[in-house]
Amino acid sequence: MTGPIIKLENIWKIYQLGKVELTALRGVDLEIAPGGFVSIMGPSGSGKSTLLNMIGALDFPTSGKVYLKGEDISLLSEDKLSLLRGKTTGFVFQEFNILPNLTAIENVMLPMIFQGDLPEERRRKARELLISVGLKDRISHQPAELSAGERQRVAIARAFANDPEMVIADEPTGNLDSLTGKKIMEILTDFHQKQGKTIVVVTHDPNIAHYSEKIINIRDGQIITNHQQAAKVLWSK
Amino acid sequence: MALRNLRSRRLRSWLTIFGIVIGVFLIISLISLSEGLKESLMTQLRMLGGDLIFVMPGGELGDMMVALLGGMELSDADIRAIEKTRGVEQVVVFPYAAGVARYEGMAKMTFLAGVAWDKATPVLKEDMGYQTTEGDFPRSGRREILIGSLVSKEIFPGIRVGDEIAIKGRKLKVAGVLMSVGSKQDDSMIMLDLDDFRVVTGKKEGSQMAIVKPNPDFDVKDVVKNIETALEETGKRRMGQDAPAFSVITGETWSGLVENIMGIIQVVIIAFASIALIVGGIGIMNTMYTSVRERTREIGIMKAVGAKNSAVLTIFLIESGIIGVIGGLGGTLLGIILAKSVEMYGQAHPMFYISASVTPGLIIFGLVFSLFVGCLSGFFPAKRAAKLRPVEALRHYE
Repeated sequence: MTGPIIKLENIWKIYQLGKVELTALRGVDLEIAPGGFVSIMGPSGSGKSTLLNMIGALDFPTSGKVYLKGEDISLLSEDKLSLLRGKTTGFVFQEFNILPNLTAIENVMLPMIFQGDLPEERRRKARELLISVGLKDRISHQPAELSAGERQRVAIARAFANDPEMVIADEPTGNLDSLTGKKIMEILTDFHQKQGKTIVVVTHDPNIAHYSEKIINIRDGQIITNHQQAAKVLWSK
Repeated sequence: MALRNLRSRRLRSWLTIFGIVIGVFLIISLISLSEGLKESLMTQLRMLGGDLIFVMPGGELGDMMVALLGGMELSDADIRAIEKTRGVEQVVVFPYAAGVARYEGMAKMTFLAGVAWDKATPVLKEDMGYQTTEGDFPRSGRREILIGSLVSKEIFPGIRVGDEIAIKGRKLKVAGVLMSVGSKQDDSMIMLDLDDFRVVTGKKEGSQMAIVKPNPDFDVKDVVKNIETALEETGKRRMGQDAPAFSVITGETWSGLVENIMGIIQVVIIAFASIALIVGGIGIMNTMYTSVRERTREIGIMKAVGAKNSAVLTIFLIESGIIGVIGGLGGTLLGIILAKSVEMYGQAHPMFYISASVTPGLIIFGLVFSLFVGCLSGFFPAKRAAKLRPVEALRHYE
């Protein structure tokens, strides 16, 4: 795999909030190469989450092109996009977003169901993933019976369920205490180092960004290319 | 997964299911009862014989009940006129009255009917399908009687062929017990020899009904017309009446009439029951829309992890389908229970004889129909769920 997993070309995203227009992204160009560990940083309202939605192909830009594995997503049908997204990208959210009615293992199996894996295969892979995130004793627990950190680990296991090339994490430690957050980041780093997964983390915590190999700063909907200057801005906060 | 979702909102799911249960319950019980009512009426009509012609007092069918209750009768002159009509082979008069019968110290009010055995037995046996389960048909002049199946079971339990019943002091021997003809009233009847009947009831002449067996060489319709003309002339000669005060009816007229009436009743019943089912369907739709709103985030997650629109649609359709089917099962079960208990009540009490006709077709209809209602009313909410954009759904906070 040589080309970038995701390529953004001159992306603009304008939200229509009633009569007010809010420009979240102003002409962003970005490529995420396979095997990297990238942090996206910026203060709140800077367009981080919008950028993440673009990278994850969860949303369409107002203008500009998004290429997911070389395919222009605006030309794909919704179903095809869902399938491609499910295969290439895993998501970890700030609020965990695991389904409350399903057990830990069922949550992890969910993405595999949509990809049409066989039931025994799903169960075996989900078990392995849960063990690898350290939830061996929590496999059949309901989300309500799990702590916040454990829930986030289920979410991480789920993100890796379809063996995606890239995992996108939106403030994965935002709702966790620093110790638990550290563990979560270690798990993510582990996947990156041992399996060569591409990891994209959105955060405003510089400590988290330290885990990554590359930091992309975003401010007022634009990527700040001057890294030095950006660092100053950020560290000073 | 759909099941799990339903279970997590247990009360609401059950309430929704209950709405469908009521609708299906109404449809199943009402259809099976009305179908059963139709069937038992048709069976009785078939018992009356297809080719036989019934002559009763009263003009239109509507007045007939009035005429019977008012004690209008065919006179002996009328009956003689019928006997002389072209195409009539045999006339059997069938007068009846209520009377007290005594047996082993018990005295009970029963229906008594007078039958001229020598003339009537072949007609009863061959054309009306009457059969005995015990003994045989009586013969004229022997003071013998034939009792309905319920007489031996309920009115005088244990009465057997050879026993004697006393009516107005006249001892009459049971010659046979009739097989059930499917009507409470007919099965409770004691049939006497016509002469005995005249004596014990004091009715010297006339009959509420005459059964005419037409000559097979004649067309039944022509015979009906001939009888009508003959009765009109007799009436005019006697009292100067011009309006026909008699109904001449064939078995076919009856079946057609019953089928028409029951058809109308069934349409009305189904229409009302359908309203209940539609309300149930709206209930499902309401529940599913609420469910879609509540689970917007979940839908977003599912889409983010690769669920196709069709997968989301399917999950919601299955949920509403399950509501429909469980509702249908419950409704069908309750419907059958009600129909069967009405039937049992009918067997235990006179004047209320209905058999419930629960066919496999009706059960399948109930289930398929409720599944259909479930899916149909779940379709629009499911469509809405499927169309949600993943980001929008994820950004949604309750």
